[in-house]
Amino acid sequence: MILLVLAVGLWFATQRIHYEWRWERVPQYFAYRAEVSQDTPVAGRVSAITPEGRSNRIEITPEGGGQPVTVTVEQAQVKVGDAVAENDTVGVNFQWRVGPLTQGLWVTIWISFVSGFIGLAIGLVTGLCRISKNPTLRGLAIIYIELIRGTPLLVQIFIFYFFIGTVLNLDRIVAGVGALALFVGAYTAEIIRAGIQSIAKGQTEAARSLGMSATQTMIYIVLPQAFKRVLPPLAGQFISLIKDSSLVSVIAITDLTKSGREIITSSFATFEIWFTVALLYLLVTAVLSQLLFWLERRFARSD
Amino acid sequence: MIEVKNLIKTFEGRGQVVRAVDDVSTQVAKGEVVVIIGPSGSGKSTFLRCLNGLEEFNDGQVIIDGIDLTESKTNLNAVRREVGMVFQHFNLFPHKTVLENVTLAQRVVRQRKPAEANERAMKLLTKVGIAEKANEYPSRLSGGQQQRVAIARALAMDPKVMLFDEPTSALDPEMVGEVLDVMKQLAREGMTMAVVTHEMGFAREVADRVMFMDAGRILEDAPPARFFTAPKEPRAQAFLKQVL
Repeated sequence: MILLVLAVGLWFATQRIHYEWRWERVPQYFAYRAEVSQDTPVAGRVSAITPEGRSNRIEITPEGGGQPVTVTVEQAQVKVGDAVAENDTVGVNFQWRVGPLTQGLWVTIWISFVSGFIGLAIGLVTGLCRISKNPTLRGLAIIYIELIRGTPLLVQIFIFYFFIGTVLNLDRIVAGVGALALFVGAYTAEIIRAGIQSIAKGQTEAARSLGMSATQTMIYIVLPQAFKRVLPPLAGQFISLIKDSSLVSVIAITDLTKSGREIITSSFATFEIWFTVALLYLLVTAVLSQLLFWLERRFARSD
Repeated sequence: MIEVKNLIKTFEGRGQVVRAVDDVSTQVAKGEVVVIIGPSGSGKSTFLRCLNGLEEFNDGQVIIDGIDLTESKTNLNAVRREVGMVFQHFNLFPHKTVLENVTLAQRVVRQRKPAEANERAMKLLTKVGIAEKANEYPSRLSGGQQQRVAIARALAMDPKVMLFDEPTSALDPEMVGEVLDVMKQLAREGMTMAVVTHEMGFAREVADRVMFMDAGRILEDAPPARFFTAPKEPRAQAFLKQVL
């Protein structure tokens, strides 16, 4: 009921600003049939066009005479009797091509995945440093976490791209993934630290009393239990990461957001494209969310 | 087997220093069962935890089977695998099945092959009477069953000494018996044991020596027959009057 009222309200609102919906323009940006032009290898005259299934056979008799040359096309652009020069286009074939929205979606997914993976590794190491007995490691971890959490991601991306990227001559993709990984790493570190500290001391004591070293205790006893406990906040962090990855469009990485912006400049279907882009983000995050929920239930077996 | 010389452990809290273990010296011979009793806060658990280095002590010496814990070149992990410990709250690993709880340390510390570790584990689980639960998770077991698994887990390392830190205090009364039975069996088989407990019946029946601790000191150290009938210290007399 509420949704219905919302939909009607939206419809009236767009009516008032005289917006013309053109949803039919959207699908071509996912995938489209591209025209591939077919050229004639010789100069001469078109002697015959014979339909053959869905394509046409064009026969061209060379200027000086001799064996006619055939070119097969799906759509002929010449007529019988036309004179053609060498490398002239005589027709086109059609081919399915991936559209910019699909490409952008793919870039968003892999950038999020790679930076999430690196971020998790950074977070694990930093989280362990954060609770280490060594004051230098602990201090460095705290400085890193505070630096990242205290500055906006957008500014970090700019610094990473324009300063670090220029100094080290980094590719924009590397800079973008690096900035995202460092960003998510700082938040993950705190989540992992809290998870480790939430495991009862008795677990460590039991493991140590069996003769396990501190490292073995961490790997076999503490981390598996901590990981299970921090899965819900980690899931939230990674869903955030997918959405935050839209910010890398400012350094000209053609992710989903930037593809959307580019399409709007050519199609003028502003509302439709932004709605589609939002829907695609929602799709990706929903799939991830379900995946992590499934993982959580699997881990809950031992409860 | 265990030799303790002038052991001191202090805790600092809110500006005052508490001597939890105050200049304790004693020894436990091979195959001996020593029961440590005393009021809460008397330092008996802390004393026991010093014996495998779980608690770092401030001064004194602990020598287990000829190895001095305080010496800097001593590998604490190597000593600990010879000293089994059973805790008040079991401390089983909740993310591992009963069988995995018993095999994990065998594999990563003793480097036993999975088949060998499994065989040893099943033998011990049968001994403590819980083999049919091998593939359950600890959360599905009762307290008494969990504690028996914990004993099997410690025994799987083939320790020379077993330390019990109030093993029955967190159990329902009806489950105390099953755990004590396992401990009695161990004692009969000649295991060297140090047991902190409030079970006077167990002390009387199984112990070779009973130590009474108060305020971090061992006040009385006698065979159970003498300790329970004719304690010398007035503090021990008062304690026994309360609990018996």
